[in-house]
Amino acid sequence: MGTPRKRQRAQRTRGERSAGARVSLLLLGVVSLIAFVSFVPHLNAARSGTIRGRVELRSPTSPTERRPGVAELGSPAPRDLPNLLRSVVYLESAPRGAFETEEGGHAIMDQRNETFVPHVLAITTGTTVDFPNSDRFYHNVFSLSKTRRFDLGRYAAGGSRSVRFDRPGIIRVFCDIHSHMNAFILVFSHPFFGVTDDEGRYHIDDVPPGTYNVIAWHEGTSSDPKAASVPDGGVAELDFTIR
Amino acid sequence: MKVWSTAAACLACLASVSRGDAQTLPSEPISIAGGRVVVSGDVTGTAGTTDPGFFNYTDYDHSALRMFRVDVSATVNAGDHFAVLGEVRAENLDGLSPYALFLRVKPWTAHDITIQLGRVPPTFGAFARRTYPADNPLIGYPLGYQYLTSLRADSLPDTADDLLRRRGLGWLDRFKIGNQTFEHGLPLVSAFHWDTGVQMHAATENNIVNGTVAVTAGTLSNPLFHDDNNGLQYAARMEFRPVAGLILGASGARGPFVSALAATAAVGEGHDREFTQTAWGADVEYSRHYMLLRFETIVSEWRLPVVREPAIAVPLRAVSTSVEGRYKLAPGLYVAARLDHLGFNDVHGTTATMSWDAPVTRAEAGIGFSIQRNLLLKASHQYNTRDGGPLRRVEPQTAAQIVFWF
Repeated sequence: MGTPRKRQRAQRTRGERSAGARVSLLLLGVVSLIAFVSFVPHLNAARSGTIRGRVELRSPTSPTERRPGVAELGSPAPRDLPNLLRSVVYLESAPRGAFETEEGGHAIMDQRNETFVPHVLAITTGTTVDFPNSDRFYHNVFSLSKTRRFDLGRYAAGGSRSVRFDRPGIIRVFCDIHSHMNAFILVFSHPFFGVTDDEGRYHIDDVPPGTYNVIAWHEGTSSDPKAASVPDGGVAELDFTIR
Repeated sequence: MKVWSTAAACLACLASVSRGDAQTLPSEPISIAGGRVVVSGDVTGTAGTTDPGFFNYTDYDHSALRMFRVDVSATVNAGDHFAVLGEVRAENLDGLSPYALFLRVKPWTAHDITIQLGRVPPTFGAFARRTYPADNPLIGYPLGYQYLTSLRADSLPDTADDLLRRRGLGWLDRFKIGNQTFEHGLPLVSAFHWDTGVQMHAATENNIVNGTVAVTAGTLSNPLFHDDNNGLQYAARMEFRPVAGLILGASGARGPFVSALAATAAVGEGHDREFTQTAWGADVEYSRHYMLLRFETIVSEWRLPVVREPAIAVPLRAVSTSVEGRYKLAPGLYVAARLDHLGFNDVHGTTATMSWDAPVTRAEAGIGFSIQRNLLLKASHQYNTRDGGPLRRVEPQTAAQIVFWF
C-alpha cells in the first residue's frame, strides 16, 4: 500500500500498458487482414486457367464497298481497307463474381483514311471509347444500335469525341458522311473475352476453373456455343469454324 | 394504289435478301467479282397533298411530292484507270430510263485528274449532284432545279405578249413558233436529266481546290442525249475548301439553247447558235457539329429570237436563291428548313410591263427520322406562293417520304 499519489501513478502505468497492448493487437489485426486480402487473389490466380484456340473463317467477309459515285465529278481517293480477320471469342455466361469488375477504362477507335481502326473493338461495360479523327476532312460517327444510340456530329482532324458504354451488347458504328465506314463495338459485362489475331488465334486468361459455354463471333455472325472445361491452373483448347 | 402496293412489295423483297440479321434490310452495296462490280440502290416513296398549282411538278405527269422512285446504280471497275458507271431510274413504275452512263478514266493514279465521257453528272451548281432523297434533307427540291418556267427549247413565243400570256403555266405549255404540242416548260437547271459529253475534273493533292470543265450536247435547263442544234455547251465549276466543313463553289455555263428546228422557224437557218442559255452560280456549304447550312444562287439568261413587235427584250433573266439548314436533334432525328425564291426580269408587252414568268417563293420545313441507318422517314410542310398566273397562287402542301438505300 503506498500513498494515494503512488497508487494513482501505478494505475496510470497499468492503463497505459493495456492501451498499448490493444493498439498493438489492432495493428497486428490490420496487418494480418491486409496480408490475407493480398494473398487471397494470389491463391485464386494460381487456380485460374486459360481458354485458347483458333477461329477459322470459311468465307472471309469482304470490306464494304463505296456506293457507286455516279454523281461524283472525280474519282474517289484511295482509302484503307478495314482488317476483317479479327473475331471475338467470349464466355456465354460469366463465372460467379465476374460482374464485380472495376470501373472501365478508355479505349480508342480511330478514324483513319476513311476506316475505323480497329474495325472490331471488345470492351467491358463502363469503358469510355474515344473516337479521334485522324483524317483531314470531316467524319460523323454515329450508331442507331438499341444498346447505345449516339451521334457525335461533325468534327475535323485532331478532334475527338467520346462515348461511355454502360450496357452490354453489340453496337454497329457508322460514319454519316462516308457510308462505307463501319465498325463493331462489343460490350461485355465480364472480362472473359478475347480478340483473335490475324491468324485467328485467341486466348482468354484468368478464367476460374469450371465448365463454360464459349461463343465465337465474326462480323455479325455467332457460332453455336461450345463447352470448355477449364482445369485448375490449366489450359482448355477450343477451336471454332465460322461460315 | 398500284404504286404503293408495288412499293410495299419491293421493300418486302429487299428485306428478304437481307443477310445475317433477319430483322434488318440490306445496308451495303452489293459487291460482285471481288469488288469489280458494285451495285447500289435507292427506293423512295413520297405521298403528298394534291398540287393544283403545279408548284412541285417536274414535268406534266410527275410531282416531286407524289412519286415512287427506284434508282439502281452500278460501277464496273476495270483496273486502276477505267470504270464504267451507270444508273437507271423508274418513276411511278413508268419503266426504266437510263439516267447516267459514262466511262470514267483516271490517266494517272498519282494525280487526281479524272475524265468522264458519256451521259455525265452535272458540272454546274451544288444541288444537282445531291438530288438523291437520302442526300436531300427535305422532300421538295430547290426551285432553281425543279420549278418549270414557261420557256421551252422547241417552242418559242413570237412576241412579248405571247410570252406573258403563259406566265405561271410552265407545267403545260406551248408558243406560236416551233413545236405546237403541249409540253412542260424547263427549269433553270434540270435535276432530273443529265447531259451528254465529256468532262474533266482535277484537284490539288489535299483537295483544297478542285475544278471541273465539261463540253456537252444540251444546256443546263435542257440536257440532251442527241444535240438538237449546232452548238455545244461549255460548263465549268470551281470549289475551294479552305477548312474542313466549308465549301465555296462557283459555276458557269453557256450553250445554244433553242433547237435548230425552232430557231429556223423563227428567224431562218444559220442562227441557232445565237440563242443561248448562260448561267452563273455561287454556292456555300458550312457544317459543324450537328449543323449543316447551304446557300445557293443561280442567275440564268436566255436569248430568244426576236420575231415581231412587241419584241421580247433579251436576255430573259431568272434568279434563284435558296437557303437551307439542317440540325440533328438526337441520333437519327433531325429538323430541316429551306427558303427559296425564283424571280424573273420584266418584259414590255402591249398593255403591261411585268416579269416574264410569275415569281415563286417557297418555304419548307420538315423532320427526318432514321428507323435504321439506311431507312429514313421524312415529313415536311411547304408554303408556296406565286405572284401571277391563272393557277392557284397560294398553296400549302404536306408530304411524307420513306427512303431506303443500300
